[in-house]
Amino acid sequence: MNNALAVASVVVKELYRRKDFYVLFVLTAVITLLMGALNFFNDDKIVRYLKEICLLLIWISALVIAVGTSARQIPSERENRTVFPLLAKPITRGQLIAGKFLGCWLACGLALIVFYLFFGVISVSREHQLPMASYFQALWLHWWMLGVVVAMALLGSVLFAAPSSNATICLLLILGILLLGRHLNKVAVQLAEPMSTVVYVVYFAVPHLELFDVRDLVVHNWDPINWLICVGATFYAAAYAVFFLFAAWLVFRRQPLV
Amino acid sequence: MPAPSLILALLFVVCFTLATWLQPWHQSWAGGRAQSSSLLDIVMGDSQQLFANHFFTKADVYFHSGYYPSVFDQAIGGAPHMTAAKDAATEHGPEHAEETGFLGRPRDWIDRFSRNLYPSRHSHLDSPGEAREILPWLRIAADLDPHKVETYTVAAYWLRQHLNKVDEAEQFLRAGWRANPDSYEILFELGRVFDENRGDFQRASNVWELAVRKWHERSARNGKQDDFILEQTLTHLAQLEEREGYWEKAIAYLEKLKAFSPHPNVIQQHIEELKRKAVAPSVPNNSVSPQAGKR
Amino acid sequence: MDQANLFGMEPILKIEDLVVEYRTREFGQRVRIAVNRLSLEVFPGEVFGFLGPNGAGKTTTMNVLLGFVPATRGAAYVFNVNVRDPIARQRIGYLPELTYYYKFLTAEELLRFYARIFRIPRAEVGPRVDEVLKLVELDAARKRPIKTYSKGMQQRVGLAQALINNPDLLILDEPTSGLDPIGRMKVREIIQRLKQTGKTVFFSSHELGEVETVCDRVAILYQGELKAIGRVSELVEKYECNLEQAFLKVVGYNSER
Repeated sequence: MNNALAVASVVVKELYRRKDFYVLFVLTAVITLLMGALNFFNDDKIVRYLKEICLLLIWISALVIAVGTSARQIPSERENRTVFPLLAKPITRGQLIAGKFLGCWLACGLALIVFYLFFGVISVSREHQLPMASYFQALWLHWWMLGVVVAMALLGSVLFAAPSSNATICLLLILGILLLGRHLNKVAVQLAEPMSTVVYVVYFAVPHLELFDVRDLVVHNWDPINWLICVGATFYAAAYAVFFLFAAWLVFRRQPLV
Repeated sequence: MPAPSLILALLFVVCFTLATWLQPWHQSWAGGRAQSSSLLDIVMGDSQQLFANHFFTKADVYFHSGYYPSVFDQAIGGAPHMTAAKDAATEHGPEHAEETGFLGRPRDWIDRFSRNLYPSRHSHLDSPGEAREILPWLRIAADLDPHKVETYTVAAYWLRQHLNKVDEAEQFLRAGWRANPDSYEILFELGRVFDENRGDFQRASNVWELAVRKWHERSARNGKQDDFILEQTLTHLAQLEEREGYWEKAIAYLEKLKAFSPHPNVIQQHIEELKRKAVAPSVPNNSVSPQAGKR
Repeated sequence: MDQANLFGMEPILKIEDLVVEYRTREFGQRVRIAVNRLSLEVFPGEVFGFLGPNGAGKTTTMNVLLGFVPATRGAAYVFNVNVRDPIARQRIGYLPELTYYYKFLTAEELLRFYARIFRIPRAEVGPRVDEVLKLVELDAARKRPIKTYSKGMQQRVGLAQALINNPDLLILDEPTSGLDPIGRMKVREIIQRLKQTGKTVFFSSHELGEVETVCDRVAILYQGELKAIGRVSELVEKYECNLEQAFLKVVGYNSER
């Protein structure tokens, strides 16, 4: 654990010393504030569209940060040859993978806290109320979803040599799941065999990232989710993250570094 | 000034000169393509209409607080309308609503689990002022496709009826009218603003009469139009004239309405009633009746 | 030659009949032998030069010692522990050839990171970092990000990280490669100082002059096979010429061609 945490601390330092996060945060803030400055029928109490836009930008930024950061971790270690002095020390490849995961995931968590604080400020300034439980649940579920995304991108980074191709494949896969994941069972019903079974198998196999997208509940001020459901979703994400990390380790442990 | 700076300045002058020389030439060459006035037209082209439809639907999604069928739900044959769930929930409780709503019964555990994580109960923006949340999307839809008449009428309805924003409703409808001068739908809605909110029956009557004319013009030009709006306009005109005591005008509108109405007998009865009122001595209850007579 | 008897002690590094094969993508030649039946031993306190032309298998051998590449056959031991076990690397310091370190870290942060992996007690980390930074003459630049360092400074950061755990065995892969004469001299001085403190150094190099200066023994590798091993003076005596000419003779290069 010590080694994994040491590696994680370097990854976190990398995130806050690179410009990516700041650029994305400033973009999110500027676009949200610009949209907030628009006048719709002289009504300054309209807030939900602003919440939706802000959350959408947060989701896009978080995905870019998560995939961008994790997809390049192992390839850049190899490309810059920093993996050699690192693995020449008493650290296993499993610990390296775990550390990279922890670092990326924690870094995403820190970024999310900043983003959601901004979202909270925007929301309070218009609505004059802060449903803490709902916002915390949204942040928590979002973070766990990013855990799965980071693990997936790390697996991709040991499978594909180029970070750009890995990032593109991961983003397409994630967007596909977010947009279609919930509806694959309905698609399966309408297909003939054997495609119906194939689609159903895919439906049950893919990590349903869209489960963690509770933006609609937050935007439209629905009641907080049952906490047991939150716990269930957390375990679901943890299971998939562990699965992807284990697969990444299986691939990486026997992979020649040169 | 050092040489590189001089060269840079010279290159800038060359570019500027070329630009001033080429621009008129490009204008004449581009022809029809250069006539587009809006940046949105140039950038988005016809895709604007697609986005406008999307945002119009988005307003409806907001009205239902996010509870809305996706294209996949709509694609499944026999998916009931979303309002069925609300009716069922009121009458038989939430479990029955689950069966009758567009979501149907959960198909598997993921489906059942996921319903806790997105809006899965029918809801409307019922609280006072909550309906304002649909307005931005309608505004954006109108900006993207100014010829989508429905956007103006729906927005105006919510603005004046639920948000007490009569000026904004009128302004928006006028903007819609400028973009769609043949739209009898917008004129009908504008007439309602004058009649129901401003109490200006004169202008309401003028606008509705114009709406009727526009309906006939479009029917003559493009084939018969949906007569629901015509029916509504004539009904409103008749009611307005009746309210103001102009029985003959009211009877004339009702006669026209009778031709479209599914219940001509009811209208005939009303006509008879008005005729009786017309022969009885009475004074129009509007003090501006002399003016009205000039119409 | 029984080297254990010769030095009267157990070897610190032992390679036994090592074979490393690579799969290649070239048509008709699917397997390439990088190291072929290599056996050698390095004893505590000696500076061992590992020589050979490009592609001789030096770096591959080092990669096996550090667990980066699995051996096809044979075995390698460091401190009597098989190199496949990560604990074997606890007392090793390694300087790879041409490495760029995490550019966003400062030298001090980098050393603290590696110190944490070696589980050096927190109280000892500070003094240890100070010590190695002074040794490689980077004390003044310790707070600057590594991305601002010159190539020579980066190489010295590499040496510093290799020394952070006060290793008993240093494996240096062409430590002076790409450095200017002053940089080379500085690295050479550091190796000399390490030798004086009793460290074992196993290093590969093309610079035969520098090998001659600092090494106790050398091994010459050619096309994956061990061609010669022994004290520098023995080789010079055996081939009746200087180390460079001896090297050329061993690898079969005819200077009169």
